[in-house]
This record gives sequence, C-alpha cells and structure tokens, in this order.
Amino acid sequence: MIDPGTQARDVLDSYRQEAGLSRGELWLRYFEMGGMSTGFELEAYLSGALRPSPYDRDVIAHALNERFSELGANHPVRYLTEFDG
Amino acid sequence: MRTAVAGSCIPQVPRTRFSPSSESTVVVSSGAVSTSEHEVQSRAFEQSMNPPFGAVTSFEGPNAHISLRGRVDDVAALELAAALDAAIDREPTSMVLELSELVFMGAAGLVVIANAERRLATTGVALTIQSPSTLVNHLLGMMEEARVERALPGSGHLGPEQLDGVDVVSQRFGSSMSTRDLRRVAGMPTDPDVVDGALGLVVELALSSIGDADGVSVSLMRHGVLSTVAASDQTIMAMDADQYATSEGPCVDASVKGHWFHAESLDTETRWPAFTPRARALGIKAILSSPLRAFDQPVGALNIYSRTASTFEIKDQQAAATFAEKASVILSDAHIDVGDRQMATRFQEALRSREVLSLAKGIMMERQGIDEEAAFGSLLRHSLRQGTTLRARAESVLLSVRRSERELEGDAP
Repeated sequence: MIDPGTQARDVLDSYRQEAGLSRGELWLRYFEMGGMSTGFELEAYLSGALRPSPYDRDVIAHALNERFSELGANHPVRYLTEFDG
Repeated sequence: MRTAVAGSCIPQVPRTRFSPSSESTVVVSSGAVSTSEHEVQSRAFEQSMNPPFGAVTSFEGPNAHISLRGRVDDVAALELAAALDAAIDREPTSMVLELSELVFMGAAGLVVIANAERRLATTGVALTIQSPSTLVNHLLGMMEEARVERALPGSGHLGPEQLDGVDVVSQRFGSSMSTRDLRRVAGMPTDPDVVDGALGLVVELALSSIGDADGVSVSLMRHGVLSTVAASDQTIMAMDADQYATSEGPCVDASVKGHWFHAESLDTETRWPAFTPRARALGIKAILSSPLRAFDQPVGALNIYSRTASTFEIKDQQAAATFAEKASVILSDAHIDVGDRQMATRFQEALRSREVLSLAKGIMMERQGIDEEAAFGSLLRHSLRQGTTLRARAESVLLSVRRSERELEGDAP
C-alpha cells in the first residue's frame, strides 16, 4: 500500500536537495515564514517520520519555491491549498 | 506524534551482531575484551555517547561479514587491519564490510580498507562496502580525485612532525579502489570532532598531492575568530597564528574576502608588511590560500605553504580549489554554519522577517475577521499573483497601515 503522504515527503526532500539548501537553512526559511515546528520536526517531515499539517506543508513548499525563484526557476513545488486560483 | 520524532533522533546504541548460523565469531575491540553479553549491554550507554572502535567478524559458510562501529582513528586502524587480515586468511569467497555504525573513519582506516581490497582481489574476491556515510563518501571521493591529480606522493614536510597518515595515504594513490562504487549515500549527522578529522584528512591529501607543498592547514571562523583546525605540523600552526596575530596574510584575506590569494614569492611580497617577515623567518617562500565557504559565505581558508618561491602552477591552484570545494561541502553538510557573527546576523534577519509577516497577518486578521492560516493564505496568494516574495507582500500590508494612519492624522483637527 502506498501512502500518498510518504510520496509527498520524499518529493519535498528531493526538492530541498535540488534547491541546494541544507536542512538548517530550510528550517530558517520556514521559520521566517512563520513556521512553528522545530528543526527536529522539520527533519522528521522530510525523512517521513512525521506528516506535516497541510498548513506546514504549504509553508515548507513556499520556502522552497522562493529559493527556486532566487535561482531563477519557477515555483516547482505544488501547494496543497489552491493559492494560484 | 512527538514520540516518533524523539525515537528517530535518539542515537542508536551500537549492537553487537551475532549471526545465529555463523560458524564462529571473532570480536576485536579496543580496551578490555568483553566476554559476557551483560558487560556489552552495561557499556551500551557509554558507547552510544562516544562509541569506541569495534569490529565484529562473522562467517556464514565461506562468506565473511565484518561490521565496524565507533571511530577508526590511527590506532583503531591497526585493529581493523588485524581483523581484516584474520578474515582474509580464512579465504572467504565474499566479504562484506558494514559501516552503518561507524562514527568516524580517518585516512589510515581508508588505506587499510584499500589494502584489504587489494589483497582480496588477488584471490578474485570483491570487497563490498555497505552504508558508507556521506562523509566517508566525500573522503573516498577526495582520495580518488587526489589520485587523478597526481600519481606520486608529494615532497617533504616542513616541520619536525610528520603525519604517519600522509605516507600511507600516498601509497594508497597507486592502488585501484573503485570509489565510485562506494558512492551510495547514508545520511549521517556529524559532530565537530568528526568534521575536524575530515578536515585533517583534507590537509593530508592536499599535502601529498600538491607538488612542492611543504605544509597545509585549514583555518576556520569559529566563535567569531579565525583559528586553525587542522595543520600538517607545528610550523604551519605557527604560520597561521602569525597571520591571526597581525590580522593580515593570505589566509586571513581568503577567509574574510572569500576569494583566493596567492603570494608567489614572499621576497617581493608587499601586501602584508607585518606578516611577511615572520613567514620569511620560518623559511616560507610561497603561500596559496583558497577560501572555504558554507551557505555562500566565506568561513575559512585552505592554506598551502612552500619553501620554494613561484612554485605553485595553474594546476596546483586548480587542485587547491578542488580541495577547498570538497572541504566546503563537508562544512555545509555538517551544518557547520557560518561564523557566530554572521549567524547572528542571519538569525536577526530571520526574526525580522518573521515579525513583519506576523504583524501583517495580525492586521489582516483584525481587518478581515479571518484566522491566522487564512491570513497567511491571503498573503501568499497576493505574493504569487504579483510575483513578489512573501516578505515583500507583508511589508506592503504594513505600509498600507502606516499610510492610512497618516491619512487619519491628516483628517484630525
């Protein structure tokens, strides 16, 4: 049985690596955007030990997307909430 | 849910593995040899904090399995060599080296493994290495590059001390370990000791692979001051210290300015008047300093010293840059964040961003009667539509408040 949440987490961590962010720097960016989870929890989200709330998931997604913008790319990480509408 | 996090973060207690079907088991471990299972367990906590080296060999038929744990420093490398030799003497048809519980692997350990691999290869047996950490991967990768860079070991050393590791590492360059096969990654947290050990290996590798290098060091910004974390000998340590003391020199400049500095000949060098005479007094003629970076910030330098002027050629500069890059990757991976002062600035900035965002959310919650998550959603929606950052959007919300306040003041009598 494939847990859709697991897939989402794997994708998040591969985006993090693609964006060239350490886990610490991603946490700092997530924190800047109002994220309330600790660095440990964020690592657990990335490794799949914990599932983030939809809100947390979107904050992480946006932290990654802003990093991709800095690198001149689009926003490749999809949000759970429809923000683009 | 939090239990799951804690569980995943607690360091695993090293386990002694006994295969039930094994014909025999040999345990090699530093310190007293423990014979009872109970003793092993009672030491488990202490070991989990700072695990000593241990090698457990088990045979299943002709297949050898060797599991390593703890730190493989120079002394432990000898024990490792004994364990590998003993296993190879039994003429296995396959050999697996398990590294998942390894905390640190120094240059000597890598060489011992390479030698064992060579010995096994003569009998047509391949050595399989399982779960090398990211760090070990970097080191093996570096050794591979160093070998490509120069087939022969480098020249002499400057100070009285010689690192034993250098010579064995140099021998290693002639062999044919296929380090590309070892690039399977198992993420591993690293502590400062491990990082220092890794940087020590960078020093050894640079020293033995860069022609005419008589000394190498790594300087790193820690607690807001530069200090030498790895050096090939005491003379080099002193050389770095002279630069810190005079606040000048190629090492200081590379660490602070983030680009490389090359003093081709100290006899004609004019950039560092206070430092240069000290270096010349110690017989140094040329210095090449390449910056180390973590998170796009300069955090230190890899310094290469020579007694021969104008000796560093383009290819040496390129090799130095490659080693500096590798060291930077190790630093970044290890979460050795930028120096305290820079980190403090970064944190301040992060706090400010968070504050701006939180104020903007509060304003929107008040104005629109929505909750925090909805306010975040609204900010995010606007920033995506306008192609600005979340912080920029939050700032414009704050500006709009100030504007309307001014209007209110203007209306007031």
